[in-house]
Amino acid sequence: MRHLSLSSRLALLFAACTAVVSLFAGVLFSRASEAHFIELDQQLLDGKLIGVRRALADANAADATARLADELSRQADLSLRITDPNGQRRYDSATDIPQDLPHTPGLSTLSHDGTDYRVLNAALNPDRADSPQLTLLLDITHHQHFLQRMQRLIWLTVGLSALATALLGAWAARSGLRPLRRMSGVASGVSAQSLNARLPEADMPPELAEMARHFNAMLGRLDDSFQRLSAFSADIAHELRTPLSNLLTHTQVTLTRPRPLEDYREALHSNLEELQWMAQLVNDMLYLAKADHGLLMPSRESLELGDETDVLLEFFAPLAEDARVTLSRDGSARLDGDRNMLRRALSNLLDNALRFTPPDGEVRVHMVDGPQGVSLSVENSGEGISPELLPRLFDRFYRADPARHEGSSEHAGLGLAITQSIIRAHGGTIRGESAAGWTRFVIELPRGD
Amino acid sequence: MKLLIVEDQPKTGHYLRQGLSEAGYNTELVTDGATGQQLALSGDYALLILDVMLPGRDGWQILQAVRGAGLDTPVLFLTARDAVEDRVHGFELGADDYLVKPFAFSELLARVRSLLRRGGVAQQETSLQLADLRLDLIRRRVERSGQRIDLTAKEFALLEMLLRRQGEVLPKSLIASQVWDMNFDSDTNVIEVAIRRLRLKIDDDFANKLIHTVRGMGYVLEERPA
Repeated sequence: MRHLSLSSRLALLFAACTAVVSLFAGVLFSRASEAHFIELDQQLLDGKLIGVRRALADANAADATARLADELSRQADLSLRITDPNGQRRYDSATDIPQDLPHTPGLSTLSHDGTDYRVLNAALNPDRADSPQLTLLLDITHHQHFLQRMQRLIWLTVGLSALATALLGAWAARSGLRPLRRMSGVASGVSAQSLNARLPEADMPPELAEMARHFNAMLGRLDDSFQRLSAFSADIAHELRTPLSNLLTHTQVTLTRPRPLEDYREALHSNLEELQWMAQLVNDMLYLAKADHGLLMPSRESLELGDETDVLLEFFAPLAEDARVTLSRDGSARLDGDRNMLRRALSNLLDNALRFTPPDGEVRVHMVDGPQGVSLSVENSGEGISPELLPRLFDRFYRADPARHEGSSEHAGLGLAITQSIIRAHGGTIRGESAAGWTRFVIELPRGD
Repeated sequence: MKLLIVEDQPKTGHYLRQGLSEAGYNTELVTDGATGQQLALSGDYALLILDVMLPGRDGWQILQAVRGAGLDTPVLFLTARDAVEDRVHGFELGADDYLVKPFAFSELLARVRSLLRRGGVAQQETSLQLADLRLDLIRRRVERSGQRIDLTAKEFALLEMLLRRQGEVLPKSLIASQVWDMNFDSDTNVIEVAIRRLRLKIDDDFANKLIHTVRGMGYVLEERPA
């Protein structure tokens, strides 16, 4: 039963139910008809009994026999036996009456030589103890035949209806389960290349709509992660390819013919810059990989985030003054966390904010020490970021400005991803908000236990 | 002053020895753990630079043997693995510093100098000087050619570091760590800007430039012939 398909199971269950119901109805009907026949026979035999008694009421024997024959002849399938109180047979109206008849008073049924009889035993004169016994026999073979035919019919009905419901049930189950098959069809077609397949939720019956929704949501998440992952791999290749091709080309060109010493030095310096850029990239990616594998384990020391921010603002002060940007902090908060990691996270945000703040703008760090945790935001003035781009800011290698300035100390675009990893390692969340004139990154950090 | 490098990768070992020798250190290189340990235990070295993964005996075993023999030779570990447990393990065993590959040679050199200096007695200087640049540590004043120069607290700290380690190429990461206590990888150009601003005050008005950029490596404070 375990390996039976759902449709077969349902079909079998339907068939069994129909069989039970029709069998029950059949048995009931057959019992009722039998009872009905018995009642009819009883009435008939009771009537005949009165006739026979009346015919035998007078002791005049010759006349009695004629009247008895006359009484019996009106019902062809009726026969009579009269016996003495001591069991001696006195009269048989027909020759084919069986030898042994039941002696119980009242109605009974007898089967003899392929003929069925309804037998009624009664005393000729109920008032006298030594009265001769009358036994009336009614041939009911045709009734029994009818009943047997009906029973066969009932069995046939049971079988056929069970078969019919099994077939109909199988068909119904199959068509009822069609959405499931469609679901499995979609699921079987899903591969890394076709994660965009979705189930039509609107066409689904309510029982499956929920499942379809979850299934689609799962596909959506997989698709999203996969897109990011493949974009990440492609980006890694691209990011490394550019400096590698610079290194190869520059080195090969330098070596093609003898050059003044200064040219070699220049080539090595240029290579050094590319190599440093690659080393930084690899280190950042390893950091992110560690975060992805849950290996980024922040230490927990009591930190005054206001002081930490001030240290960072002092660090960024030369950069900000150069860019004519005002740095400020308000609020303070206490939190258990990893000093170096949180400094790195904040430093990336500040660096990023300074990068996008126009001259005479400002960068503000604001923090609130709440009962549940700390909320810290880094806000900068300047052109806002369109809402659809905000979640993408944390994607690896995502740059607001796609044109990377070659050879400069331009970021690889991993800073915000690293910040996000650090905040997540602390059990917190980070999100970007923006409107015309400002952009803000909001960090929510739960209080460490 | 003799340094011992135990590094099994020939190319890395070769360049380390060349770099350190050219920086003025008498450097010896061995490529297997057993020989490394034997030499380290002789006590002839001022500093040990150990790779963690080594054939024979690994860097930690060597460190254990050295500390077990009662030697307090400074030990700098090099490793390709950056697991926190490794770092903690190393420090527990008595390592003095830890560098993760890929590292910049200037970074290694700066750390080697720090470790070697640690052994020496810290002089109680009252002032630092290079050419006509003079930094008064007590009155916290800076003068060049007798002219007073106003510096912010961090600019003063930066100049003090450059003066104390004059002639050494200081990588940006070391400056960030020592002056601003920023102990993490950062690709920000804050240090470049800070140096540029310091230069503006120290060097711009004078023909004899003292702060120099060593491309791709860091900054150095020294007097160079014109």
